[in-house]
Amino acid sequence: MSTKRTLPRLLQTPAVLLLLVWMLVPLSMTLYFSFIRYVLNSNRRPEWTTPSLSNWRGFGNYEYVLFNAKDFWFAVSNSLFIVGSILILTVTLGLAIAVLINKSFPGRGIVRVLLISPFFVMPAVNAVLWINMILDPVLGLNGLAVAGINEIIVGLKSLPLIGGFFQLWPEIEPISFRATQTSAYAVIIMVTWQWTPFAVLIFMTSLQSEDQQQKEAAVLDGANAWSQFRNLTIPHLARPIAIVIMIQSIFHLSLYAEIEIVSRGNGNKNLPYLIGEFASNNIGAASATGIFAVILANIVAFFLLRMIGKSLMD
Amino acid sequence: MAIVSQSSKFGNIMRPTMAWVVGLVFFFPIFWLAFTSFKTDADAVKPEFLFFFTPTLDNYLNMAENYDYWRFAINSVITTTFATGFTLFVGVPAAYAMAFNPSRHTKDILMWMLSTKMLPAAAVLYPMTFLTKNFLGVFDTHFLIIIVLSLINLPIVIWMLFTYFKEIPKEIIEAGKMDGVSTWGEIKDILLPLAWGGLASTALLCFIFCWNEAYWTVRLTTTEAATLSKLIEGNRAPEGLFFGRLSAVSMAAVGPIVVLGWFCQKQLVQGLTFGAVK
Repeated sequence: MSTKRTLPRLLQTPAVLLLLVWMLVPLSMTLYFSFIRYVLNSNRRPEWTTPSLSNWRGFGNYEYVLFNAKDFWFAVSNSLFIVGSILILTVTLGLAIAVLINKSFPGRGIVRVLLISPFFVMPAVNAVLWINMILDPVLGLNGLAVAGINEIIVGLKSLPLIGGFFQLWPEIEPISFRATQTSAYAVIIMVTWQWTPFAVLIFMTSLQSEDQQQKEAAVLDGANAWSQFRNLTIPHLARPIAIVIMIQSIFHLSLYAEIEIVSRGNGNKNLPYLIGEFASNNIGAASATGIFAVILANIVAFFLLRMIGKSLMD
Repeated sequence: MAIVSQSSKFGNIMRPTMAWVVGLVFFFPIFWLAFTSFKTDADAVKPEFLFFFTPTLDNYLNMAENYDYWRFAINSVITTTFATGFTLFVGVPAAYAMAFNPSRHTKDILMWMLSTKMLPAAAVLYPMTFLTKNFLGVFDTHFLIIIVLSLINLPIVIWMLFTYFKEIPKEIIEAGKMDGVSTWGEIKDILLPLAWGGLASTALLCFIFCWNEAYWTVRLTTTEAATLSKLIEGNRAPEGLFFGRLSAVSMAAVGPIVVLGWFCQKQLVQGLTFGAVK
């Protein structure tokens, strides 16, 4: 009997141990650094450049981050703004597209392949592609399209007779996506592009298992397409929607590459980016911010784990 | 019969048209990347060559010269392949044990494993840099990147394998036990042939995730173990000068993976929703 139990334990031990070390060691170091004064360079207080208990600061780093570092609340609200916008967009678009391609039509397989492709694009390439070649106000398609429209307007203005009417049309300015606020929009656009396919794929999988008999009954009862969608499809999709929202929250709360590539130095930042900024010198503050990020992620994770846990063992 | 009347003209013509339009719109940026990769750097920013230009393969032929592409690509291949292998090596036995010999803690262990995935990487960035640079001396080595990639993907791999293994009827394994097959024989002769499809798609998905990883691979490398993510990230602002060559190197970095991804759409759903959506 004993081997029957020891062997399974033995088989999972390496995985458990590795993950335990991976989670505990760096995290407890972060926790430790968050309670001491620790900077990488200081001429005034060279003793702060080595981590040591004698530099104990208590909750000083947390206080500093919360009340004195002006960017913290901006980074938190911006993180939430970016994640919230992406969630609303991907879920809405995902639902619409999943319903659209749920029934079979010529070339459905190809459309599916086209749709899912963005999800597999490396985040670094995604960001470089969008910010330079598509959204750039001069050289990207954004700039070229606006220039094209302006040319048409100039052409219209010079027309005889009706030209006068177009005199009032202003020249359009392309939006630059490199300013603080607009670069957050750029990040939202590119991440929405990448993650809508994920939502579509999950909603579509779930739609396939929708009870068709119930739908037929609803049609016989005279329910129109919208009320079918609202009263049958949406409740059926409640669970996949919740899962899409939570998985994406986890991924997007730690969004980094896109912000780094699109927004470096222009003031737009989220929590992970702020940690990176602090970490260039003030490790204490970076660690305290890191602990806040862990708390934020855990709030989300709590709900996700409870939800998945229910369906785990059946 | 009432159902048939539902598929009106809208259903017959508008729906496929709209679906195709949506599909093409979503694919457009990738198409545009591929399209631009055949333009010279000069043509790529000239409006008059937006759609009509003389295609050239130079951007691809000069990739090694312009970006030292192969060094980064080889690093990506090495780290991704070994990380996938190592993850499976650790993950398969664990998932096997949990699926076929669950204890009352199995559920908690699985949940806990998943929760490690939710730890924000940025929170432990400095300790990781500190440890690997000053303490272990493995900063910027293939070894470090392989281990880190394995660890961040291990929870998802175990979950995916667990959901696959759970589908295999226990009776088959039990029957093997009756015939006196050893545990190793059980895994090799009964489990692996049955779970082959699940294993392959798990490996594929793990490979894709490792390949695209852009936090640790950028932060924990400088030159020796720098991957394609790092290469692209380092050329983030070409100022329009190098759109052609940057497109080519980007295509070379994402093309193979996008194609691989096409083959594991279904597994993606199961893997990323942890079996909760079927």
